[in-house]
Parts: sequence; structure tokens; C-alpha cells
Amino acid sequence: MTLTIALPSKGRIKDGTVEIFERAGLGITSIGNDRSYRGRLEGVDGVEIAYLSASEIARELAAETVDFGVTGEDLVREGMPGVDEKVEFCARLGFGQADVVVAVPEIWLDVETMADLGDVAADFRARHGRRLAIATKYWRLTQQFFSRQHGIQLYRIVESLGATEGAPAAGQADIIVDITSTGSTLKANHLKVLTDGVILKSEACLVRARKPEHNADPRVEQIVRAVRAVTGGSDG
Amino acid sequence: MPLIDMPEFSGELLEEFERRRTVRVNTPVIQPAEPFLDMAGEDLRRRIFLTESETGASLCLRPEFTIPVCLRHIETATGTPKRYSYLGEVFRQRREGAHEFYQAGIEDLGEADIASADARAIADAFGILSRLLPSRPLTVTLGDQAVFEAVVKALGLPLGWQKRLIHAFGDMAHLEALLERLARPQPVAGLDPEIALLLASGNEDELVARIDSTMQATGYSTNASRSPLEIARRLREKRTLAQTQLDGGALLLLREFLTLRLPLSQASAALAGFADAAGLKLGPAIAQFDARVAALSVIGVDLSAMTYRAAFGRPLDYYTGLVFEVTEEGGSAVLAGGGRFDRLLTLLGAKDRIPAVGFALWLDRIETAREAQ
Repeated sequence: MTLTIALPSKGRIKDGTVEIFERAGLGITSIGNDRSYRGRLEGVDGVEIAYLSASEIARELAAETVDFGVTGEDLVREGMPGVDEKVEFCARLGFGQADVVVAVPEIWLDVETMADLGDVAADFRARHGRRLAIATKYWRLTQQFFSRQHGIQLYRIVESLGATEGAPAAGQADIIVDITSTGSTLKANHLKVLTDGVILKSEACLVRARKPEHNADPRVEQIVRAVRAVTGGSDG
Repeated sequence: MPLIDMPEFSGELLEEFERRRTVRVNTPVIQPAEPFLDMAGEDLRRRIFLTESETGASLCLRPEFTIPVCLRHIETATGTPKRYSYLGEVFRQRREGAHEFYQAGIEDLGEADIASADARAIADAFGILSRLLPSRPLTVTLGDQAVFEAVVKALGLPLGWQKRLIHAFGDMAHLEALLERLARPQPVAGLDPEIALLLASGNEDELVARIDSTMQATGYSTNASRSPLEIARRLREKRTLAQTQLDGGALLLLREFLTLRLPLSQASAALAGFADAAGLKLGPAIAQFDARVAALSVIGVDLSAMTYRAAFGRPLDYYTGLVFEVTEEGGSAVLAGGGRFDRLLTLLGAKDRIPAVGFALWLDRIETAREAQ
């Protein structure tokens, strides 16, 4: 049986992964030419690499069409319900760090915490005739964080697929939930992260689809162990 | 049961609805999604079936009947009081059970005699279930948002704190977190020293002007939802609220109240006793509670099957008074759930305030219970 590892087809996560795999003794060779979207793992028999777009990797893991994937934890957690039953976070790779955060306009001097935001959301309809609007592409993470962890129910999500930081000033939404690595884009748009507003500290992870046949396959353990050995051995 | 079939006891249900003088209404299966998400919150999104119209309008398969029935009432403007009944399919994404199942229920809109209307809703739900599940002991659990609100008000907390607690009613974890904050107040942190100074000086105009000029400079003025004045006022309120500490005695009282759970026949006396012992004036809320119990007795409902649980509520801002659930004795499946939602019709756009109470019957669960007979 062939094992498939899905990697991003370009960018920082791809380069970082290739480097880590090499250090782990799992060199990647392309099939055909350099620009091919298929590859092979050296040193372990019958392991294929499939290069996919970053956002598809979580989906393919959920559908179990691939055995492993390397992608941001944020995309995996956003992409599937009941995530910890479906996949295992095998190793955190130490790059691609970014936080999913709740950010509000800096000028909201009275809002520093989620509790403050809860107060504002509760009153919002009475004051403005509509619910507090949150621009985000992270529907699931936002709902879990607001509803379950902070008991905030009364808000509306406005889907935003790009340039989310601009939504509050443009009037498309009041606040945002978005990913940030350095915080500079937030700052440039006069937004601030709430003190308890970090929903997830994400980074690139080696993720395994929990397939039953993996239990009897020594290659699965071999790959996980090799990658953990060069990433400090920590698991998810 | 094949899904295309109505539950086999539908005939009996419709008979009951007619006997109870209701007008049966139907509503389209495909509904605008906005009102549901607006009223029940975003958490509903993952539990309903959403789709889009060609023009991008958000639509959903009817997840329940109360909002469509109320919207229909507002549109047709036929006046009140009205007693509507419905029987039809609803659609929800559920981990367990089918995604499409039948619900039936009664919505009583515009009845000014609150106590009688409440009692009738409970009696209707209980009576219909007793017919569908003959000789099976049922229990009713009952809560009251208004009594909780009265307790919170009587404790003398600032309005902002009252709103926080009332808003969290029905969500025990959230409520506990708030009580924790009340026991251990934290000073307001993270404030720019200049702003803190302005705030302390009480010079609101200057504070507002400062916020306004920053908003102008950063391009936030044009589309701002929250005005400089709103931000300044809430900042001041927040400082006051942060200094509020509920003394240990009052916290104990609130906690004691939330643990109250007793037969409905004893609830009036117990609430009066609690108010007396605590030195709290609960006034109209208790009178309303007593009137409801009296109205239940008048209708001839067996109070011994009913339990009052003080912490029972629903954390949605349109529920205003009674909430109740009917289960089989010792069972956990909710066969009927209902309550009073005096704010819903106004929120949905009705011009006049229309008091409303109603309940929904979970026909799939009733069917399971009948099969177990």
C-alpha cells in the first residue's frame, strides 16, 4: 500500500518542510521534472508526495485521501469538525508561526478583554439596530471561541476572504478574527488584539489522518519518529 | 418511519389543536436565514442547512417554526390575540438522529393576561403529551427569567452588572465566571495614562473630542458604528463596574437562589421565604409567578408533576419570563419545550409590543417514546 504525504505546492511551508524532512533522513525527490506536483520519499518504500494548495490539505486529510499532511494548525482546526478524532497532530515543525486573534479598533479604549467585548455585543442591537459584526474567514474557530469559551452568542459573522484587517475602517464589520504573525498589518490598520483574544497559536504541523490501517504499518511510526527527532520530539 | 410520512399520531395532534381553539398555519420550508442567525446567534449556523439564492441572499431550510410563524403574523397584520398551531418538518444538522424531523406546537400571540396564557401553554403541552403517551408519567420543569431578574435587581448592583448577569442567565458556566469576577474585582488595566487622567477628571467633552480626533486621523470616522461618545461613556461605566464588589453575603444569596429546586406547589412559599430571609423585595415578579401557579390550579393541572428550578433559563435576549420543558419521569429526552418571548416580535419588526408564549413538541422523540411503550 502506498502512503501519501500532502505538502503545500509552494511557499515558506514547502521549503521548510523539505528542509526538515531532509534533516530527518527523508529526502524528497520529484517525479519527472522539478515542477512536477508528485514526488517520492527516499529511504522509505512506497511513500508518495502530493503537492496541493495549502487550503486543500486539511480537506484531503478529513476525507482520508492522504495519510499525512503538512499545513498550518489553523487551517486544520478550521476545516473540520471533531478535529482531534479525525487527525493526529504528530509534530510541530517550528515555522509558519501565526496566531488567530480577535482584534478590535484601537480607538475602542473601553474594550481590552473578551468580557468587555461581551458587554458591547450584548448592547449592540439596542444601540445600533443590528448585531455586532465580525469579519473573518475562520467561522468555526470564531464560533467555538465566542460561544463556548466566552458565552458570547449575539454577534454576526461577515465572511471575509482577504484584506480582512481593512473591514472595520471600511464599515463592513466592527471587529475581525484573523491570522497575524508580526502584528504589523493590524497596527497599520489601527487594530489591537484583545488581551485574552488569542484563539490559537498556530504553526506548521505534521498531521496524520487517523486511518485504522496505520496501526499495522511500521512506515507510519518510522516517518513520525524521524520527524519528531529533528523537531525536538514534541508531539501536538 | 419513512421520512415522507407524517407521524402516525398526526391526526390526534390536529384534533387536539382544533379542540384547543388554534388556527393552523403553514410556512415555507425555505426561509431567509437572517432572522434565525440574528435572533439565536451565530452558533446556530453550524446546526442549520444554509444555502444561497442566485442573487446571494442567505437562505435556510426551516430549522424551527416560532420565528416563521411570528414573521407571518407580522406580515399578515391580522391583529391579536391569535393562537396559532403548526405541524411540519424542520431541518437541523444533528450529531444524533435524523436531519429532518417533525415538530408541532402552539404560539399564543397577544394575550394580555400573562398568567393565564402561561398556564394554558403548559397545560396544552402537558395535555397533548398525556394523550399521545397515555398512562406514562410526565414531568414539567419550569424556570422564570423575570424572577431571576428581580433577584439581581434587588441585590442593588449597578445596571451594567445587572445586564451582564441577566444576559448570562441559563448559561451556568458563564454565570459562574461573572460571580467570580464580582467576588474579586480587577482594576481597569491597559489604559493610556493621559486617557486615564481625562477619565478621572470627569471631563467628558474633552475625552470625547480626543477620541473623535483620533478616529478622524485614523480613518475610522466615516463608517464608525460606535461613536466617540458611546466609547467614552462605556469607558466610564466600565471603571465603575470594575470597582463593584458584591459582598460575600450577597454572593451567597445569589448562589443559594440558583440552587433552588423544588415542587411547584411549594415554590411560591419558598420564594417568599427566600425574599424575606434575604431582605429582598421581589415584588411584581413574585406576584406574577404566584398568579401563574394559581392559574395552573384553576385549569386543573396536576402541580405535583411540576418542578421549579431557579437556574433554568435560556441565554437568548428575547426570552422574558416563563421557560418550561416536559420529559418522561426519569427520562432525559425533552418531549416539549416552551417559554415566554415578549421581546421577539418587536425584534422581528412588529410595531407594537406583542406578548407571546408558546411551545414546540419534538415528534421524533415522542415517536421513540411511544415505541418503547
